[in-house]
Amino acid sequence: MSPELSRRDFLKSTALAGAGLTLRFTIPGVDTASAAASFEPNAALTITPDGFVTVHITKAEMGQGVGTALAQIVAEELEADWKDIRIDYPMNDPKFGLMLTGGSWSVNWTFDSLSRAGAGARMLLIEAAAKQMGVAAADCVAADSRVRHLPTGRSMAYGEIVAKVPITRTLSEEDLKKIALKKPSQYRIVGTWIPRLDIPEKTNGRAKFGIDTFLPGMVYAKVAYPPTREGGKHTSVDDSAAKRVKGYIRTVVNDDIVAVVADTYENAVKARDALKVTWNPGSYANVSTESIFAEYARKAKEDTTSPAWVEQGDIRSGMAEAVRTHEATFTTDYVAHMQMEPMNCVVRFENGVYDIYTGSQFQTMAVGTLSKKLGVEESKIRIHQHYLGGGFGRRLEPDVILEGALIAREVKRPVKLIRSREEDLRRDYYRSATLQVLKGGLGANGKIVAWQNTLVAAYPGERYGGLDDKGRDQFSLNGSDHVYDVPNQFVRAIRSETGISVGYVRAVAPNYTFFAVETFMDELAHLAGVDPVAFRLSMLGSTPRLASVLKLAAEKGGWGTPLPPNVGRGVACVTAQEKKSPTWTASVVEAQVDPTTGRVRVRRVTCAVDCGIVVNPDGARAQIEGSVLFGVSNALKEYGTVANGALVQSNFHDYHVLRMDEVPDVEIHVVDSTEYPTGLGEPGTTTIAPALSNAIFAATGARVRSVPLLPSRVLKAIQQKA
Amino acid sequence: MAQLLINGKTFMVDADPATPLLWVIRERLQLTGTKFGCGMAQCGACTIHLDGAAVRSCQTSLAQAAGKKITTIEGLHPKGEHPLQKAWIAEQVPQCGYCQSGQIMQAAALLAKNPNPTDEEIVAAMTGNICRCATYLRIKRAIKRAAREVSS
Repeated sequence: MSPELSRRDFLKSTALAGAGLTLRFTIPGVDTASAAASFEPNAALTITPDGFVTVHITKAEMGQGVGTALAQIVAEELEADWKDIRIDYPMNDPKFGLMLTGGSWSVNWTFDSLSRAGAGARMLLIEAAAKQMGVAAADCVAADSRVRHLPTGRSMAYGEIVAKVPITRTLSEEDLKKIALKKPSQYRIVGTWIPRLDIPEKTNGRAKFGIDTFLPGMVYAKVAYPPTREGGKHTSVDDSAAKRVKGYIRTVVNDDIVAVVADTYENAVKARDALKVTWNPGSYANVSTESIFAEYARKAKEDTTSPAWVEQGDIRSGMAEAVRTHEATFTTDYVAHMQMEPMNCVVRFENGVYDIYTGSQFQTMAVGTLSKKLGVEESKIRIHQHYLGGGFGRRLEPDVILEGALIAREVKRPVKLIRSREEDLRRDYYRSATLQVLKGGLGANGKIVAWQNTLVAAYPGERYGGLDDKGRDQFSLNGSDHVYDVPNQFVRAIRSETGISVGYVRAVAPNYTFFAVETFMDELAHLAGVDPVAFRLSMLGSTPRLASVLKLAAEKGGWGTPLPPNVGRGVACVTAQEKKSPTWTASVVEAQVDPTTGRVRVRRVTCAVDCGIVVNPDGARAQIEGSVLFGVSNALKEYGTVANGALVQSNFHDYHVLRMDEVPDVEIHVVDSTEYPTGLGEPGTTTIAPALSNAIFAATGARVRSVPLLPSRVLKAIQQKA
Repeated sequence: MAQLLINGKTFMVDADPATPLLWVIRERLQLTGTKFGCGMAQCGACTIHLDGAAVRSCQTSLAQAAGKKITTIEGLHPKGEHPLQKAWIAEQVPQCGYCQSGQIMQAAALLAKNPNPTDEEIVAAMTGNICRCATYLRIKRAIKRAAREVSS
């Protein structure tokens, strides 16, 4: 069963997760044996008699430093000494509620609940210590992992309290809600630069990713995949040649899968390659980039019945009122995750239980999917979490885990399944290719009076049970509902499934929606004869925090100062990742264009961010740096083309990503704030394509409306202008 | 049976001489610090040292490696305190961390030959190593920090 992915249901699910925060004490008595037990006041932490506090991180560590940040939140209210803090990444358990890492949500969703988990535990530790010392709890305070009785100066360490005192009181969710949390001015761990806990072992080879798993008796599997991304099916399998490969163990063929198992990875590859499989390629065998975009364009033109995503004012009268109108079509290509660790898992099926060793961004969905598909109870599926060698949304998908389980079920030995890079790229769930037709109308006062967008894309939402009652996928549309004060707006959401699987790739829809919105905004500014920053600011009256970061980025990015020939600056500001919980972000991109080749070099990115409270300042900067450069990679280089129902590209030689030689200077400005925190993993990414497209326009006068901003496209735009 | 000298230890490996060294190191010998990323020398995640030179172990066969001195991330420094490893921590370089063994091995080969590389030399040496988290700016800073430590 897929959990609902709608915002409302997400919140419902996190409320369920909150039930796990009811403080329960599992230490039943005072005798020595039980005293040696651990203290687990809630699902978030365990305190052991040795004084260590282990914070249980139920978010995937995929480079965001989430473990350190979440532990900081707990430690702050717990009044723990940071040196006592440890973290672990527990196995899936219903007590953890929705186990999902994505959407730049981790800190945003857990800041309050983890603060309260820490505060509640602190409160009960104080009570327990007071009782033990025979003093009034009101006279005690907690600091540095100790409870101190102020009048006498007597104190007990958390470890001692846990070892000695029976605690039977429980705190309900209501009790937790009543706890007065610290004010930001009182923070001593949140907002402090604390080195990330996961970094040392990532410098010496000791960090364990899913791919680093070994189990006794383990064998290797390779899957034979159909030639098309979707809809292909095997009609016959001849494994006579595979059987002759050294190390061959067996072939697995059933309705869902064709695979070979062998003693080593290399032998499994050889045996799989020796299979003779006949495929029915299915109904998408003729799909190509051209056919997809032709279908998108047809729908954008003809579809008048798909639902609106934004409807405000009256678009017809708004357009009628306009003294000038402008229309432009924007396209974006397929983008792949290309996380460095190819998808993999180790699965052991024993005594009716599936033990899965991997790195997952969405354990709840994986468990639900496998339970349904394998016909076992959810409690029989145990995901042993590892570090993720990049997530970016790829490890939300349970596809490879399911393959591993299907094979392990038949083989009855632990199975290691590693996809090659080629398989990883060709079996990815891409960011959808999109087409957006924008039309804007300028009023007599030079402001936008009407804004229309027809957005055509494929939706991943159905697989996640996340389509709303009108069939819309908010995660495919976010961002097209911009915050500019425009009285009349209409955004039509047209779904177009293509046979090329789509999923959630870092920053998701706001990559393409803000590309169109922010580039088109630039076009309208020029049409109105107004500076693009000033033009935007004139419509950001209702979102002062966005206006502030826009001004900050412009000021720090040298907006309006002279530049050499063929160099331009462009700007974009966004409310990613979601309008309801935005990280206010603006970037100024400075780029140099070679007018003879169309080649673009990004020289400098200045990014200003207001994400509310910053939990770990250096971790925040790292996330902004990474997200900005992911955006540069997307904007400059990345595209997948489709032929015969599958991606043409196969590896890093033809699917190019950013390397060190094209990295610009990145300057980051984070606004000091005491507002509730939002996320940083994605917003920066979404500013780059529009700001860069606008910079190319500033440098050359040529408008490029297709991402990536390839030299051929830039050159064509330059030639068309001339 | 091939004899491999890895991180100062001798290993006997029974495998096809054409087997990529990567799979031998990782899956047979379970020295998992060396990572599989692309299998075609495009990403650098599997970088190791062969007689001191940085090579892609996915494109190095068992036969080519036999008899040579192989160093993996696990053997770069006995305590993991090579100046680059210390600099990587000081600059808080890794994000997901998957490519970082390869990055560090590539950088170590650079510094061994050129203890004071210029920015251009760093970029030239490191451009074959992909970091999808894009920690490039910190990698560059960490290499310079390590270079300063080595030369001081």
